[in-house]
Amino acid sequence: MPPAGIPAKRALPSKEASLFKELLNLYETRQLKKGLKTADQILKKFPEHGGIKPLLHSEKTICMKGLVLTHMGRREEGIELVKKGVRLDLTSHICWHVFGLIQKGEKNYEEALKSYTQALRFDKENLNILRDAAHLQTQLRQYDGLVETRHTLLRLRPNLRQNWIGLATAYHLNDNLTEAKKVLEHYEMTLKNIPDYDVEHSEVLLYHVRVLEDLGEFSEALSLLDVNAKNRAIIDRVAIMEFRARLLSKLGSTDDAEHTWQALLEQNADSYDYYKGFFTNRGIDLNHITDENRVQTLQAFREFTTQLPRAATPRRLALSVSTGDEFKELAESYLVAGLKKGIPSLFADIKSLYDDPQKLEVIESIVETHRGELAAPTPTPESAEPPTTYLWTLYFLAQHYSHIGQHTRSLGLLEEALNHTPTLPELHMLQARVLKRLGDPFGAARCMDEARVLDLQDRFLNTKCGKYRLRAGMQEEAQEVLGLFTKKDAQSPGADLEDMQSALFILEDADSYRRSGNLAMALKRYAALQKVYSEMEDDQYDFHGYSMRKSTINIYMNMISWGDRLRSHPGFVHAAIAASEIFVQLHDDPTIATRPSSTANMTDAEKKAKKKAKKAAAQKVEAKKAPAASTNSNEDKGIEPPSTKDEDADGMKLLQCTDPLERAAKFLSPLASLTKDNIKAWIAIYDVAIRRKKYLQAAQALKRARQLDSEYSPLHVRLIHFRKTVSSLPQEPPAPVGPVVTAAAADLVPADLSLETYNSQYLQKHSTSPRAILASAQALHILGAPVEEVESTTFGVLNPEVERDIRSAMEVLAFLKSIKSTRSEEFRTACDAKFELSTVFKSTEEITALRKSAFAPPVDPPEANGDAERETAS
Amino acid sequence: MNIRQARVDDLQGMQACNLQNLPENYTMKYYLYHALTWPQLSYVAEDHKGRIVGYILAKMEEDVGSEDEQHGHVTSISVLRSYRRLGLAKRLMVQSQEAMATVYRASYVSLHVRKSNRAALALYKGTLGFAVKDIEKKYYADGEDAYAMRLSLKYLSR
Repeated sequence: MPPAGIPAKRALPSKEASLFKELLNLYETRQLKKGLKTADQILKKFPEHGGIKPLLHSEKTICMKGLVLTHMGRREEGIELVKKGVRLDLTSHICWHVFGLIQKGEKNYEEALKSYTQALRFDKENLNILRDAAHLQTQLRQYDGLVETRHTLLRLRPNLRQNWIGLATAYHLNDNLTEAKKVLEHYEMTLKNIPDYDVEHSEVLLYHVRVLEDLGEFSEALSLLDVNAKNRAIIDRVAIMEFRARLLSKLGSTDDAEHTWQALLEQNADSYDYYKGFFTNRGIDLNHITDENRVQTLQAFREFTTQLPRAATPRRLALSVSTGDEFKELAESYLVAGLKKGIPSLFADIKSLYDDPQKLEVIESIVETHRGELAAPTPTPESAEPPTTYLWTLYFLAQHYSHIGQHTRSLGLLEEALNHTPTLPELHMLQARVLKRLGDPFGAARCMDEARVLDLQDRFLNTKCGKYRLRAGMQEEAQEVLGLFTKKDAQSPGADLEDMQSALFILEDADSYRRSGNLAMALKRYAALQKVYSEMEDDQYDFHGYSMRKSTINIYMNMISWGDRLRSHPGFVHAAIAASEIFVQLHDDPTIATRPSSTANMTDAEKKAKKKAKKAAAQKVEAKKAPAASTNSNEDKGIEPPSTKDEDADGMKLLQCTDPLERAAKFLSPLASLTKDNIKAWIAIYDVAIRRKKYLQAAQALKRARQLDSEYSPLHVRLIHFRKTVSSLPQEPPAPVGPVVTAAAADLVPADLSLETYNSQYLQKHSTSPRAILASAQALHILGAPVEEVESTTFGVLNPEVERDIRSAMEVLAFLKSIKSTRSEEFRTACDAKFELSTVFKSTEEITALRKSAFAPPVDPPEANGDAERETAS
Repeated sequence: MNIRQARVDDLQGMQACNLQNLPENYTMKYYLYHALTWPQLSYVAEDHKGRIVGYILAKMEEDVGSEDEQHGHVTSISVLRSYRRLGLAKRLMVQSQEAMATVYRASYVSLHVRKSNRAALALYKGTLGFAVKDIEKKYYADGEDAYAMRLSLKYLSR
């Protein structure tokens, strides 16, 4: 619109005005070359340096030219022009809009929204700008502003359904369900003729029902649902029944509800939610069965078993509910049937029953008896079970014994099974798992490879093999095997897995590098996972508009909530904590970054791989450059920046960063609100905060951790560290922080106790816990105790009365090395003797040899092998 | 195992399951696109701990030619090797097909499979009742041909 107050002389002459219009059109249809020509044509007549003042509409044209150039791949030049255009006229909505588009393309949503807000100041009712602003506000969770923008959009275009939905969801997101409901009611009143069988309309109505349910207006929700289900305006049958069953239950219409739950179960007899709903409706909580309702519950499951003979769930849930002889009877038929069918997941399926030690015993005796019967010679060959049943029985028992810690017994059973049938991959996989538990990652990797070569077409076995190699510190060999299934044109197997957002690979690879001491590559991988999560967060953006048009609102609202909680995912949490630990290490000892040790552990093969990766990266960049040079092409390169070349192929830049603590704090920052129940996260937050001198935040983190588990051994170390740090400050921090921090320190560790006494009390209290012993040794080290005392404390882990635990023994060894103890070698050999079947305490030379032997022996007939490999080349 | 409609919170688990099982992989955006366009059509199987052990990612065909009828398409289906022989793939497929037929009035469902993937072919043909309709030359990025398979949903129409 032509705003009042702009001098008339600023309007373009009609010829150029129509040229500008054409330019907009050409841009919209991405006729970039022509667009550029047109822009130049206008600018030729009205150059930007008019001498007195930028004249006429040239600044708009400059911005548009910049936008066109950006799309053509001349990004830097383009963005320069856009910025220039904005500077020349700060009152043009077009300039601000173009600038906002560029920022949005860079995913800089906050700055983009600022530009859009500017643009709206000069063109309040521009629909495109309003829509984009709404999307940005949603992405940034600025819901007050969103409600306002959606209001304006609805006022301007009330005939569009998406604008009604947009406003309703905006209210909903802003926690105003009542207004959301009103908007929906209003919308439905404006409708004249509803098309028959319209999925989109159906989704809107289902959303309305959900709003009513969330408001607690159950009978209104039910009648809206019923009316519209009846006249076929709502067509999603499963959704209708689910809403109906839930609403009826909530309304206390128990009988009607039961019918609906029943109908749902007929539709899907393996849905736990439906069983849960069915029993809750009867006042029975499946997770807390009492002696009063046990009989009734079991009776119901029995009926379901007859009614729905193909369903597995009622039989399985009955095992959780039953006790005593009844359990024994049900378990026997369940287990024997599963063994007969050769269900590999049978043990995983029933494992949770072991929470009850009686059930564990019963199951063990059932399967052992079964095994005895199968082993005994049968009178007639016809009555004999097929040999596979025996095999699966051994497989089950091997899992069972490994689960209860009898690994050697488990391995014996597996050997028997493998003698019987050496070609079943499951047996080798389990062998690998048991060896892993015994602390032999190299033997485990070998067994997994043996499993893999038995079915080369199966990516599952391939992935497992790659993972086990990473666990054994064989990064290059892992990529080699994973590469059998990744895209052949990818820079490397790892690069493809990273592109495909494989959290499994990224984390295992990162952890593997970390264990090998290559902190640079470890950090690089953790950062890669951080990037995956940013991508997923950005992925939401397009749906802020899309879902309004498609009317898939219920699931859209769920997506928003998913986006809010995205970084609470265990994978992200793990990466954030691990990376922050490395950053803290770097802060405490910056020489790590320059010391060759961070890459010194590289084998020649790794060095070669690194070189190769560097070369490949360089080639990729070259390949990208080539087409970009021909800027005359009409090809649209989009508005998002192209992926830049990897300037840090080996992670060294990241390792040598000057702000490790700030990076750690940033990585950890989502955890404080998203993973409040994760004690490890609070410990990591403390470690970073105390070093950044954020004493309040540090104290808060320790308090949170203490609430979760006051005896947690890493917490013990921090409590001592905190009080020592605070009490050795040259002066109390200024009020109000200082007194609060001092009080917190006294609250966390009783002020009348010396830290030495506090520490020895802790050790006494937990004298059989290896982790507590480690913690008290670490505390001694912090308190400046002589190294001999620290060492002799750690050696307490080896006492026979202390729990055997390989992992904590490894942590102790790592701690001894970190304080450069002269006794670490002694500790290592002692552990090697103590954990006889483990290999992690072998010498470096021995480990190198073990890695070389971690492969399946090459015994496959060559033609079968080659054939299968060709087929997996996907 | 628990069988239920896929939720947004399941998509990462589905993606992980897919990456572990199959050579055709997708970024999160594509999973979101499926879930937010056809929320009724994708299903998951989960174990007691809530881990996704199998899934079906499905859609409706958007470009339906004038000769053709409305139909669904299975973008991806798989079950972790350690959870096979439970009939999970079949259960997942049946739930998805019902929804295709009732919500979108699909008259058949289609899918693609690599010509060399005998295990998958056996599952689709034998257990799930699909039939080969066509061969699509060089369907996959690496140049491999695909079988285009179909299963009629007429029996579900009501």
